Amino acid sequence: MKDEVQTPEDRAAGLKGMGCSRKRVEDVRFTQGKGNYVDDIKLDGMLFGDFVRSPYAHARVKSINSEEAMKVPGVVAVITAADLEPLGLHWMPTLAGDKQMVLADGKVLFQGQEVAFVVAEDRYAAADAVELVEVEYEELPVIVDPFEALKSDVVLREDTVDENGKATDGAHGPRNHPNHIFTWEAGEEAETNAVIDSAEVVAEETMYYHRTHPCPLETCGSVASMDKVTGKLTLWGTFQAPHAIRTVVSLISGIAEHNIRVISPDIGGGFGNKVGAYSGYVCSVVASIVTGRPVKWIEDRMENLMTTAFARDYWMKGKISATKEGKITGLHCHVTADHGGFDACADPTKFPAGFMNICTGSYDIPTAYLAVDGVYTNKAPGGVSYRCSFRVTEAVYFIERMIEVLAIKLNMDAAELRRINFIKKEQFPYQSALGWEYDSGDYHTAWDKAMKAVDYDGLRAEQAQRVEDFKAGKTRSLMGIGLSFFTEIVGAGPVKNCDILGLGMFDSCEIRIHPTGSAIARLGTISQGQGHATTFSQIIASEIGIPADDITLEEGDTDTAPYGLGTYGSRSTPVAGAATAMAARKIRAKAQMIAAYLLEVHDDDVEFDVDRFVVKGAPERFKTMKEIAFAAYNQAIPGIEPGLEAVSYYDPPNMTYPFGAYVCVMDIDVDTGVPDIRRFYALDDCGTRINPMIIEGQVHGGLTEALAVALGQEIAYDEMGNVKTGTLMDFFLPTAWEVPNYETDYTVTPSPHHPIGAKGVGESPHVGGVPCFSNAVQDAFRAFGLTHTNMPHDHWRIWKTANDLGLHD
Amino acid sequence: MELSDEIRISAPRDVVYAALNDPEVLQECIPGCEELIQHSPEELEAKVVLKIGPVKAKFSGAVTLDNSNAPGAFSLTGEGKGGAAGFAKGGADVTLADEGEETVLTYVAKVEMGGKIAQLGSRLIQGTAKKLSAKFFQSFADKVSETAA
Repeated sequence: MKDEVQTPEDRAAGLKGMGCSRKRVEDVRFTQGKGNYVDDIKLDGMLFGDFVRSPYAHARVKSINSEEAMKVPGVVAVITAADLEPLGLHWMPTLAGDKQMVLADGKVLFQGQEVAFVVAEDRYAAADAVELVEVEYEELPVIVDPFEALKSDVVLREDTVDENGKATDGAHGPRNHPNHIFTWEAGEEAETNAVIDSAEVVAEETMYYHRTHPCPLETCGSVASMDKVTGKLTLWGTFQAPHAIRTVVSLISGIAEHNIRVISPDIGGGFGNKVGAYSGYVCSVVASIVTGRPVKWIEDRMENLMTTAFARDYWMKGKISATKEGKITGLHCHVTADHGGFDACADPTKFPAGFMNICTGSYDIPTAYLAVDGVYTNKAPGGVSYRCSFRVTEAVYFIERMIEVLAIKLNMDAAELRRINFIKKEQFPYQSALGWEYDSGDYHTAWDKAMKAVDYDGLRAEQAQRVEDFKAGKTRSLMGIGLSFFTEIVGAGPVKNCDILGLGMFDSCEIRIHPTGSAIARLGTISQGQGHATTFSQIIASEIGIPADDITLEEGDTDTAPYGLGTYGSRSTPVAGAATAMAARKIRAKAQMIAAYLLEVHDDDVEFDVDRFVVKGAPERFKTMKEIAFAAYNQAIPGIEPGLEAVSYYDPPNMTYPFGAYVCVMDIDVDTGVPDIRRFYALDDCGTRINPMIIEGQVHGGLTEALAVALGQEIAYDEMGNVKTGTLMDFFLPTAWEVPNYETDYTVTPSPHHPIGAKGVGESPHVGGVPCFSNAVQDAFRAFGLTHTNMPHDHWRIWKTANDLGLHD
Repeated sequence: MELSDEIRISAPRDVVYAALNDPEVLQECIPGCEELIQHSPEELEAKVVLKIGPVKAKFSGAVTLDNSNAPGAFSLTGEGKGGAAGFAKGGADVTLADEGEETVLTYVAKVEMGGKIAQLGSRLIQGTAKKLSAKFFQSFADKVSETAA
C-alpha cells in the first residue's frame, strides 16, 4: 500500500505507456556502437562468399572457367548454376509468383546479375578470386525501355514462352507478349470512359515515377551455418520477414521447417530493400551445406544499389474529369510498370501492382478505372515498396499531380480544388470506386488546420508579388508552394485477401509475465530502426499496467518468436500492435479472475485501474499487477491454472488509412536550378499516438527520404543497360546539409477497428512528402506555363525547366 | 562517347601510314600496352592495363584494321574484355593528309564501355579516354618524327 498517495495520473505516468514520449530503449546500444548487425556475427571456421557478376545487361553465358580462381590461396569453392541444378536451386521463386535465377543459368538479364559464387577463407581471397573467374559472354540486344520491350522481337525470358515463341500464362493471368508480365485492373472501364468523354472539363497527363532504391545504410547480407551433426540450419540475415524466409527456405531446400532457425539481428534500415529473397541468401546456405562450415555473404554498396530490390519505375498515364466548378467526376489511370528481368515485386499475391488502386486518393471520385501492365526489361528485379505501403507512393504521387494538373486546367487554386473534393467525415467508412473501404478520416479538419498554420493566403499573395517582381527584373528567384493531401493504406492485411506466396498476412504477439511482475514479449515482426522495443512495450504497459521499463521485447528469432509476416508496409503497429493489445487483454482477463479471488469478490466486482484491479466502490481494496503476477504462479487458485501468459494471432478485419496534410514552401534560383526549402509543414493523422517522439522521428526520416526521391535520387541506366548511379557519388543520399527544418503537427482520428485505434505512421511522410516536394518545384513555374515535369528535380533538371520556359532569355 | 582530334606529325604520309601498321610502334605508344601480336595484316591481339578512377584491369582484346583506303585513310575496330572490371568496344576512323613535309592526322573515335568501369568511372571516362588518346597520338607523333628525322 506504499503508493496510496499517488494519484491514478501519477501511476499512469510511471508506466510510460501509450502517449508518452518514452526515450528509445534501443539507442543505448546503438549510440555506443554495441548494436549487433549481420556483419558483426563471427563464427569459428566461417568462410566468406562473393559474387562474380555480369558486366552485360543481356548476354548468353557460353562458359565459366574457375581454374585460375581456384588457385588463389584460401579459395574453397566456386559455385555455378551447374552445381545448383542437381539440387533444384539454380532458380528460386520470387515473392510475385515468378521465378528468378539464383546464378546465371545460360544467360544474364541485367547488369550485375549473379553468375558464380566464390567461397574463400576470407573476403580478400574471395574478392581476388572473383576477378579471376573467366566468363565467356555472347552479347544480346539490350532493352531498357518497357514500351520498346512490348514491341520488340527480342525475348528476354525464354522460359516464359512455348515452343512457338508465344507467351505462356503468368502468375497473374494471360500475357499478351513474351516481355509482358501481367495486366491488372480495378474499377469500371466503360463507365469511366463514358463519364470522361462527356465531362465538362478533362485534364490529361503522363508522368514517370523514376526508378530509385531504398539504399539502407546497412546493405543486405547473411550468415548460414549448417550443423551436420544435428541437421539444423541457422540462418542470420537482413530479413524484414524472418518467418516467411524460414518457410520459403524450407519449401525450396526441402529442409524440414523445424530444422531451420532464422534470426534477424539488428537491422540497419530496411525501407523495403530487405523484404525479398536474394541469391546471396541461397548461396550462403548451399555453400554452408557443401563445405560444412558457416558462410557469410555481405553486399557492398554498389551491389546493393545495382542488384537488390529497386523501387518505383512506373509510367503513369492519367485522365481526370470534373465539372466547371471543379467537382471531380471520373479518374482513368494506365500504368506501364518496368519490373526488370524477373518479377520480384514484394506485393500480396492478389495485388501484382500493390495497392495502386488507392489512386483515387483522399477524394470522393465516383467513377474510376485503373489498369497496370507489368513488363520485363534488362534491368535489376525488385519493385519493392520503398518506405511506403505496396505501391502507395506511386498512387499518391499520381493523384496529387493530377489534382494540380486539373487545377491548372480549371484555373483554380489547388488547395480549394482539394477541399471541395475531399471525402467528408460523415462518409466514413467510405467505399472507394476502386474497391477499398476507408476506415476513418476527417480530412477537412486536417486541411484547414494546415492552411491556417502556414497562412496559406498570405503565401499565395507573397508568391504573386514574387512573380511580378521576377517579370519586372527585380529578382531571379521564384517561389513554389507545394501541397499534398494523402491517404495511405497500410496494415496488410486481412488474410481473406492478403497473402504473400500463400502465407496469410496476420501477425502475432506472445507475452509472458514473470512472477515478480516484469515481462517478456515476442512478436512476429522485426524492427529495422522503428523502435518496436520502445513502442510495443508501451502498448503492453497501458493495457496490463506494468511499467514499460519492466518489459523485454524480442523479435526476429523464429525459434522463439511467434509466427508473423514481418515488418514492411507500415504493418507492424496495425497488425502486430493489435496482436500485442489483444494478447495483453487476454492476460488482463485472467488477472481479473485472480484479483477477484484474492480480494474475495466476484469477477465482475473488480475493475481495472491503471496498474491494478480495485473493488468497485471500494478503491482502498485492490491488488496490483505485481501482486497478481506473483499469485498467478505461486498460489493455488481453484479453477485457474498457474502462470500468466498469452499469445494472440491477429487477422485484421480491414487495412488502416492514415492521412495527412503537407505544405512545402520553396525558393528556386532560376539561374542555377537550386531549390531552397524555406518551410516544410507536416500534419499527420495516424490515429492513436503511441509515442509522439518516435512519430516525430519517423516523420523526419520519411520526409528526408521523400526529399531525396523528389529532388535527385534515381537509379539511371544508359541504353547499354549500364547502371549509371551505382555509387553514393552519383546516387543522391541527403545529409544534414540538404535537409530543412521540419514542422510537425497532428490530428487524431482513431481507426475504429484497431484495438487501440492506431493506424501506423512510418511511411506516411514519404508517401505524402514526395508529391509535396515535387508540387512545390512545379508550382514555382505554374505562372510561366508549366503543367508537369518529371522527377527527380535535381538542379540540372530544374535549370532545364526554367530554360525550356524561356526564363533565361 | 565520341573523341576527335587533329595532330601534326613531322614525317611524310607513307611513313606515318606504315608506322600505324607497325605493331612494335603501336605497342610502344599505346599507354599500358603489355602485348601486341599481329596475326595477319588485318588482325591484332592486344593486352592493355587500364586504370580508370578506382578500377584497374587488364583488358585483352582483338583489333581489326581496315587498310582498303591506304594511305589516305585507315580505320580500326576493336573490343576489349576486362573480366570483372567490364568491357570496352569501339572504333576509330583516321585520315592522313599530306602537307609538304608534314602529315596531318585526324581521328574520330567512338567508344562504348560497360560493367564496373562504366559505373564507377562514369564521371572519369571521358576525361581519361581523352587523356589516353592524346597520350597515344603524342607518343606516336614523337616516335614517327624521330624515326623520320
